[in-house]
Amino acid sequence: MTTSKRLAGFIAAATASALFITGCSAGGGESDPSQAGTGGTPKTGGTVHMLQNADFSYLDPSRGFDGGVNAFYRLIYRGLTMQAAGDAKDPNAIVPDLAESLGEASEDGLTWTYTLKDDIFFDDGTPITSQAMKFGISRSWDPQVGIGSPYLRQVIDAPEGYQGPYVSGDLPTIETPDDKTIVFHLKKPFPEFDNVLAQPNAVPFPEGTGAGDEFIKDIIASGPYTLAEYTPGSSITLERNEFWDEATDDVRKAYPDNWEFEIGIDAATIDERMIAGQSDDKNAISGTVSAATLPRLQTPQLKDRAITADAFCTTYMSMNTTKAPFDDVNVRNAVNWAIDRSALVNASGGTQLADPAFSIIPPVVSSFKDFNLWETEGDKGDTEKAQELLDEAGLSDGFEFTLDIRSQPLMQGQAEAIQQALEPLGITVNLNVIDTSIYYETIGTPAQQNDAAITGWCPDWASSASTIIPPLFDGRNIFEKGNSNLAQINDPAINDRIDEITAMTDVDEAKSAWGDLDEQIMGLSPIAPLVFSKGIFLPGENIAGYYPSTNLTDLTIIGLKDPAKG
Amino acid sequence: MTFSSTSLEAEATPAGDSSLHETLESSPPASGRRLLRAFLTDWGAMLSSAYILLIILMAIFAPLLTMLSGWGPYEFDQAAIDPNLGAIPIGPFGGISAEHWFGVEPGSGRDIFARIAYGARVSMTVALSATLLTTVIGVVMGLLAGYFGGLVDLVISRVMEFLMAFPALIFMIAILSALPADNRVFLLVVVISLFGWPYLARIVRSQTLSLKEREFVEAAKASGASSRRIIFREILPNLQSTIIVMATLAVPGYIGTEAGLSFLGVGVVPPTPSWGQMIAAATPWYAVDPMYFVIPGAFLFLLVLSFTTLGDRIRTIATSGEARS
Amino acid sequence: MIRIVGSRLLGMLVVLFLVTLFTYAIFFLLSADPAVQICGKNCTPERIEQIRLNLGLDQPFWTQFWGYVGGLFTGRTFTVAGAAVECAAPCLGYSFQTSQLVGDMIVQRLPITATIAVGAAVLWLLGGVVAGVLSAVKEGRFLDRFFAGLTLGSMSIPNYVLALALQFIFVVALGWLPFPQAVKFTDDPGQWFLNFILPWVVLAVGYAAVYTRLTRANVIDTLQENFVRTARAKGLQPGLVWRRHALRPALTPIVTIFGMDVAGLLGGAVITETVFGLNGVGKLTADSITANDQPVIMAVTLLSAFFVIIGNMVVDLLYTAIDPRVRTGASA
Repeated sequence: MTTSKRLAGFIAAATASALFITGCSAGGGESDPSQAGTGGTPKTGGTVHMLQNADFSYLDPSRGFDGGVNAFYRLIYRGLTMQAAGDAKDPNAIVPDLAESLGEASEDGLTWTYTLKDDIFFDDGTPITSQAMKFGISRSWDPQVGIGSPYLRQVIDAPEGYQGPYVSGDLPTIETPDDKTIVFHLKKPFPEFDNVLAQPNAVPFPEGTGAGDEFIKDIIASGPYTLAEYTPGSSITLERNEFWDEATDDVRKAYPDNWEFEIGIDAATIDERMIAGQSDDKNAISGTVSAATLPRLQTPQLKDRAITADAFCTTYMSMNTTKAPFDDVNVRNAVNWAIDRSALVNASGGTQLADPAFSIIPPVVSSFKDFNLWETEGDKGDTEKAQELLDEAGLSDGFEFTLDIRSQPLMQGQAEAIQQALEPLGITVNLNVIDTSIYYETIGTPAQQNDAAITGWCPDWASSASTIIPPLFDGRNIFEKGNSNLAQINDPAINDRIDEITAMTDVDEAKSAWGDLDEQIMGLSPIAPLVFSKGIFLPGENIAGYYPSTNLTDLTIIGLKDPAKG
Repeated sequence: MTFSSTSLEAEATPAGDSSLHETLESSPPASGRRLLRAFLTDWGAMLSSAYILLIILMAIFAPLLTMLSGWGPYEFDQAAIDPNLGAIPIGPFGGISAEHWFGVEPGSGRDIFARIAYGARVSMTVALSATLLTTVIGVVMGLLAGYFGGLVDLVISRVMEFLMAFPALIFMIAILSALPADNRVFLLVVVISLFGWPYLARIVRSQTLSLKEREFVEAAKASGASSRRIIFREILPNLQSTIIVMATLAVPGYIGTEAGLSFLGVGVVPPTPSWGQMIAAATPWYAVDPMYFVIPGAFLFLLVLSFTTLGDRIRTIATSGEARS
Repeated sequence: MIRIVGSRLLGMLVVLFLVTLFTYAIFFLLSADPAVQICGKNCTPERIEQIRLNLGLDQPFWTQFWGYVGGLFTGRTFTVAGAAVECAAPCLGYSFQTSQLVGDMIVQRLPITATIAVGAAVLWLLGGVVAGVLSAVKEGRFLDRFFAGLTLGSMSIPNYVLALALQFIFVVALGWLPFPQAVKFTDDPGQWFLNFILPWVVLAVGYAAVYTRLTRANVIDTLQENFVRTARAKGLQPGLVWRRHALRPALTPIVTIFGMDVAGLLGGAVITETVFGLNGVGKLTADSITANDQPVIMAVTLLSAFFVIIGNMVVDLLYTAIDPRVRTGASA
């Protein structure tokens, strides 16, 4: 179970955030060649199983939006562009999918044109046309349906009050001059537009479909698989989409004949089953193992099977700069000096599952800059330094504050570690445990949030920090509801710098600029970065082509070593 | 509850075991001193009492004990856990050492001995308070219903039926999870008592009903004694042994209930230690650090065992003691 | 007799109604904003509005309550994502968090709960009665004391501790049993048996202890009763004395209590299912409480109460039928 959640604001934001960056998405993150997938090339055939606890939020890609369901969508839907394969040299890159090539931008950057490939069909044999693509994308504006990824709405222009095809009809700002060409008109120039079209909700659907609850229980697939069976809360079975042509797909391999998702299994049970590896569990994969399972992975065979995945997500504690005493930068800095990050690593499952964090950008995401403004021995924190800063702030005897946390053991453990670390300074941390079901609502509403909160953040695409820094630290992105800028920091210098970087045309310059901005922001300590959450995955013996990621595992390249056993 | 309430109640006065009733009917209360002597020579009763006393002392003197052992219940000890192995305790038996007498918790390195000592506070406080509350309410209601009969009995019996019809555990979990987290101990006591008193009241009521018909009560009525006098002077004393036995037997049930609720996550809020909640935290580690669940589990087990044994012995002594006199 | 049955039935319905009311009221009072909680994650203001509309959360308490009760008898229609979802009677609600009818969720999980409950029930009834009878017959001797100690221990150990201990011993250390999973009987009977042994034993142990003691006490008393002595004095063979005269009155109370206990378990053995991660109704209860899925919590609470009340009523009636002394109305 990952601690982090994508806070990319499902709730439709009033204004578009300033997400400008130039350069193609090919300037991706560093892929670590030592992150090995499992044994060799998979063979065609068989069934791969996936064991998970939570059900997928929605089958409808316009509605769902989190790491797990996005991986699932890759198997059944295709878009104009998509994220590269999990075993590619640069898995963060964006590559063409249904489009022949990446988009062609006009001079002023306001118009983007794509050409569809030939021989692409839905699972009922209907050809995929540009009209279908336009229709699928326009669903994102429907207030009931388009509750997933927000980027299409934020970037593509639309008439005032447009509410999607079911309510408002045709969307004039997307043109389809012929069956194979599609043209987009944007609100402002957006050089990373290919990334936006790689989002899960930019997929085609036959015109007129998907109204009401049509896609709640069944789907129309454009990808290599389609839905065979769905029992909510229990299981999902996928079978091959016979109309998917391998020749038109450069990324997906679709080795197995079927996918079987087993849902509603306890995390502890999943770990036990993967360790035991009985019958079909040999052909199964699952999420990251829990800390308690790690000591059991010490036997040679299990050690061989286990794969480590880098951290794409940052867990941090935000400090509400509008509430005293967190309005004083000295106090916030003191907290960052005092926190014992080695204890936090332990509370998060030890060094195999977590690394101490000193920045908001994780190492695997490009733009990462390696710096540490609060360097202490063993990352244990420096109470003296912290005390000095508190003295400067006039709070030598400490103070009290309320920390919002989710009612979940891992987060609780992290919060307790913070309590312990701040106690010697006379800082009393009162834990406010909030139900998981309403946690993000509560902390995302400035009127309701308390002094601090622990949460996580994952990038929506990992090729740059443009989905990390602006939502969290741009003062113009403070919303009444669905707010992600929990620190409510509104520093004109930072806001301006964000604008500058997003306007940059040189990709590399932009990357290092984001990194520098990260350091600059940490100087103001609006948050206390805690840990980067890694993952340890234990696939079944018979699994091949598995490149697990803590952000988006590519399911489309996984298969069985020996299909006869699956 | 560790076992269903119907069985608990039936167990306390089994359908066929009317020995308690009969002895009450045949003789006046037995000599207190004789009962005490019988109690002191019964090694089952003595051992149980000793353990219970030990736990009570541990609960009361928890701060002192943790000063002696050197670690508080909230202090982290990073040196005692292995960061490279999922933060599991270093050393066999969950990290038992001279530093940490019962080992440490994985993930934080907190001292288990300290947490057991403080956890005893929660268990004993909740169980004893709930027992006190249910006994008082149960006796009062039972007496009223049994003695006055008629409308009073009707109302009270219906209320009891109503409360007993609830799936208590589910309801307790639901109520507790919906309420905010402060004053947990108080809430636990209230919620447990709310569903616990009818069982006591039912027994008291049926005993009162039969006592009501006996000669000495009739005699008292004939001589013009007020109801109040009769209840307190004639009936209540005869219920003494029943009440003591029921109360003693109720405690282990409540200990188990509090632990069960904590296990399910609706008991006291962490980091306040509670035995049930420690076992819940220990569940994922059962395979690699079994001591983490064995220690609080053993303490729980022994405490419940002691109270149950004590209740059993008291009942045996009371019935045989009275039969002899 | 009819009058007694009738009054019992009426009483049961009244209690059931009051339990529903009480449960509904508690949830109504305790939730800050039920719409937000019911909505769960991935919420939007539109969905919240939808939920408010569907459940009439803006309406006064009584209107909402009667709407719920009405749904139990006649079914209800929910509007989800612009489409109508039919909820046939008895309508136990719709879980917005998981997009399923609560009734469906429960039905899906009943087989596992039934498996655990029935298997454990058989174990504890047989085990308890046999041990109880043996203890009674050998009263005061070693076997009796042995069982007495065993039952005491079994009653005292919390079942989740026992579960962990047994799991550690038999699954991890000895490797004799697999880690308990919900294997279907039709898939592999052997594995099914091995997988369910631990949950059965853990659940049965506590009850078996109580039943042993009950049986023992009952049998001892019955054996001392006059009619048994008479039968013996008449020269009947011991076996006959047993079967015809002693066993039935001794065991009848046991069987009736058994009915109530099993009824209570049909609502799901919350702790046992949770510890073993078995997706039965009990685990659904625990999970939905953690997730604050109100419609589900409401439904399982009601269902459980319903079983308990029915069980109580059946037992009461059986007692009335079997035991003439009770018929005169001296009972509670």
